[in-house]
Amino acid sequence: MLHTDDTPNSARLDLLDPLEVSKLGGLEIITQGVVEGFLSGLHRSPRRGFSVEFAEHRMYQPGDELRYVDWKILGRNDRLYVKQFEEETNLRAVIVCDTSRSMAWSGAPGAVLPKLAYAQRLIAALSLVLIRQRDATGLITFDDEVRTITPPRARLSHWRQLLQVLAASEAGHGTAAEPALRRVIGQLRRRGLVVFVSDLLLDRTLALKALRFLRHRGHQVLVLHIMDPAEVSLVGTNEARFEDPESRAAVVIRPRDWAGPYRDTVRGVVSEWRLACRRHGIGYHQVTTDTPFGVVLREALAPPSSPA
Amino acid sequence: MISFLHPWVLVGLTAAAIPILLHLLARREPPTVVFPAVRYLVTTTREHQRRLKLQNWILLCLRTLLVVLLVLAAAAPSIPETGVAGHAPSALVLIVDNSPSSGAVGQGNPTFRQLITAARQVLGRATPQDALWLISADGIPRRGDRTALDDLLRGLTVSPRRLELGSAIALADEVLGPEPRPGEIVLLTDLQSSALSPAQPSAPLIVGRPDGPSPANAGIGEINAGSQPWSSDGGRVTITLVGDSGPGLPVSARLDNRPASQALGHPGGSTSLDLAGAPSGWWELTAELDPDELRADDRRVMAIRVAPVARVNWDSTSRYVAAAAEVLASNRRIVRGQEVVLGRLGSGASVVQPPEDPARIGALNRVLASRAVGWSYGELSTEPQFSDSGTVVGRQRVLRRYTLQPTGSGRTGVLATVSGTPWIVRGGDVVLLGSRLEPAWTELPVSAGFMPFMDVLLNRLARGEHSFTEAAAGDPVRLPDLVSEVRRGDRSWRVEGGGVFRPAETGVHFLLAGRDTIGALSVNPDPRESQLTRASDAQAGRLWRGARVVSLRQVGGAAFSSASRGDLRAPLLWTALLVGLIEAGFASGWRRRA
Repeated sequence: MLHTDDTPNSARLDLLDPLEVSKLGGLEIITQGVVEGFLSGLHRSPRRGFSVEFAEHRMYQPGDELRYVDWKILGRNDRLYVKQFEEETNLRAVIVCDTSRSMAWSGAPGAVLPKLAYAQRLIAALSLVLIRQRDATGLITFDDEVRTITPPRARLSHWRQLLQVLAASEAGHGTAAEPALRRVIGQLRRRGLVVFVSDLLLDRTLALKALRFLRHRGHQVLVLHIMDPAEVSLVGTNEARFEDPESRAAVVIRPRDWAGPYRDTVRGVVSEWRLACRRHGIGYHQVTTDTPFGVVLREALAPPSSPA
Repeated sequence: MISFLHPWVLVGLTAAAIPILLHLLARREPPTVVFPAVRYLVTTTREHQRRLKLQNWILLCLRTLLVVLLVLAAAAPSIPETGVAGHAPSALVLIVDNSPSSGAVGQGNPTFRQLITAARQVLGRATPQDALWLISADGIPRRGDRTALDDLLRGLTVSPRRLELGSAIALADEVLGPEPRPGEIVLLTDLQSSALSPAQPSAPLIVGRPDGPSPANAGIGEINAGSQPWSSDGGRVTITLVGDSGPGLPVSARLDNRPASQALGHPGGSTSLDLAGAPSGWWELTAELDPDELRADDRRVMAIRVAPVARVNWDSTSRYVAAAAEVLASNRRIVRGQEVVLGRLGSGASVVQPPEDPARIGALNRVLASRAVGWSYGELSTEPQFSDSGTVVGRQRVLRRYTLQPTGSGRTGVLATVSGTPWIVRGGDVVLLGSRLEPAWTELPVSAGFMPFMDVLLNRLARGEHSFTEAAAGDPVRLPDLVSEVRRGDRSWRVEGGGVFRPAETGVHFLLAGRDTIGALSVNPDPRESQLTRASDAQAGRLWRGARVVSLRQVGGAAFSSASRGDLRAPLLWTALLVGLIEAGFASGWRRRA
């Protein structure tokens, strides 16, 4: 059963292990659970406000302004309800999801979600949060070419459409991010939010160029760098031939000899991405697939830091 | 100089290649792992490849060094310790090569004197706790303390015996075998290249040799007196000179104190001299050269027997025998007389042909038996065969022959054979021929070797042969069966016939059977002693692994170095331990960092 009120952290799906969460049910159910848990953890609803257009009632909570108390209901039912008003949607968001073959990989199948599965659940939760805020949210999936384009909408039914697209997305072949990112322009006429979800095993120069372009167009850009824990730290002892599933490039090494230098290399790569993104006002978060979804959502939806 | 107690262990150095070989042999295709972030691995390996290679090289070097150190330690190396005044109790065998070549005088300094001086220096470093032996050219290891060996050295002279250096080293090594003390062999020699022979001593070997080049030398290598006995008309000797080539040298030869004959000879060549006749008897032939740097080989002796030619009674009806006898008589190799009967059995010495009539064989055999000749005629064989080459007669075609059968217990006196069966035999003073000396029986009478055969047959075989033997001093000589005494000048040795006699001195030794002289043994220096050319230090090093070759002047200081040698095993093992720790530290450190 999903909890929508305050619950201990141990019971909140947004803070559970992603693999455990994914075992609880389908994409829709667990995403709702994750988002509910995430939202209940916030002190106040992030975007819901009190504008002119009435949206719904809810139970009074200490701290609510008394002027929004519905005195009529109080008079009839002797219960304290406050009126909520729907803000006007002023944000359009497009989530760009990498569905290349490398995203389908898991360093520990059965113990850690594949990157694509993790990304699907994360995007579902993120889009639900945004849609609940009445932000129009769209989705573009790509591998070596653009696979699907779902234009941004703010209706809750649109979220289910997004879920269907996500559920249908399968790992493709190579990775070509630039065309997908450029297709964002067609979906965002006004300034909006672009969330790029990828393992970033792609042409960094081209991808950064496209991201800079989006930023130049005034969009808020957020990069979620999805990594498997086994990609962060090399595991194993015996010599093996490591082969890239996309390019088929291979290298023969003994992991125990190279674990340290490899870790340094990955740190360097992440650091380069972070610096490059910060330099251009792009938000960057490295996400490993064993990170609870709530943690990622909190980081991703935190107010953007000032650009460097 | 490093020496090893167990040098064969050094073969284990090849084990240093085992880590590399194992790595290469065990190399196989590794399993494939799908890994999307290969680009990070490529970047990592590209950036760290050089460092990793260096690490691997360092590890490989350390591991190889470890193996090498352990193998070297197992070979028990040692080095001489300088500045050590004394030495630990040692066993030392001193070999003094006082062979004839040591009598050479180079630059006014006799080699033998240098050897003795060096030997005294070696003994001077000995302590009462040392076990000492002395081996000279006689090949007998003599043990004694420093004083005793010094006395032996004082009595040592240039020996006529040759010393095989390899054998002497092997003997010294055997002497040191049971010794618990560290052993050492010191060889003092002129390092004559012809005396070198291989040896693998387990004890350290120090070789002391003279400085400077070896002196030039020429000597008499061989005397050939031809067929003996000589007649009273004299004879011819051929003298071969050996040694370094040079101008012609005057060579003289004489019988005892009779006037000498002289000729000019060249080293490497031969020269012939005719000697005037002498009365019947045994003579000592002496060939001499003018004195040079090595006196021992300037004189060579040989025994000569002079006897009158045989007095022969031959049968004029036997055409070929009569013709040969006539020729020999005309050349004064025989005279008519009754000493030897040729062709039939006489009352004295006889050369017997088988009768033409087979019916007379039985009668002949009966007479032979009554004379106790020990041989008789058997069946007639008409199968053409060839005689076996021998000293008496060469290979001749034999068409008919009687088999010769021994009638006694033994089978002695066979002088020639056909297909291994007796053809010419001697029993007592009777010589039996298996075939008649006619072309219908054998081709011998019409061959070139017939006249020399008849000469030998009549002058030597029929009259009883004498033994002429040549040997070098110290060589074992098997004596003829009848010899009971060996006499040289005033000295004599009682011997057993058929036994071995080792002449200690040069000169002519007469072999006596009772009061009769039945042969002579001519003892001279080994001709190889005349070649004074010295072997190089490298040659000695190749033949005797680990040998340290030094000047005779330095050998005193080099002796007993095995006892004052530093054992390198402990430092090597400590270094190996250190290397092992460094290797383990490096390997685990790098792995931990990785």
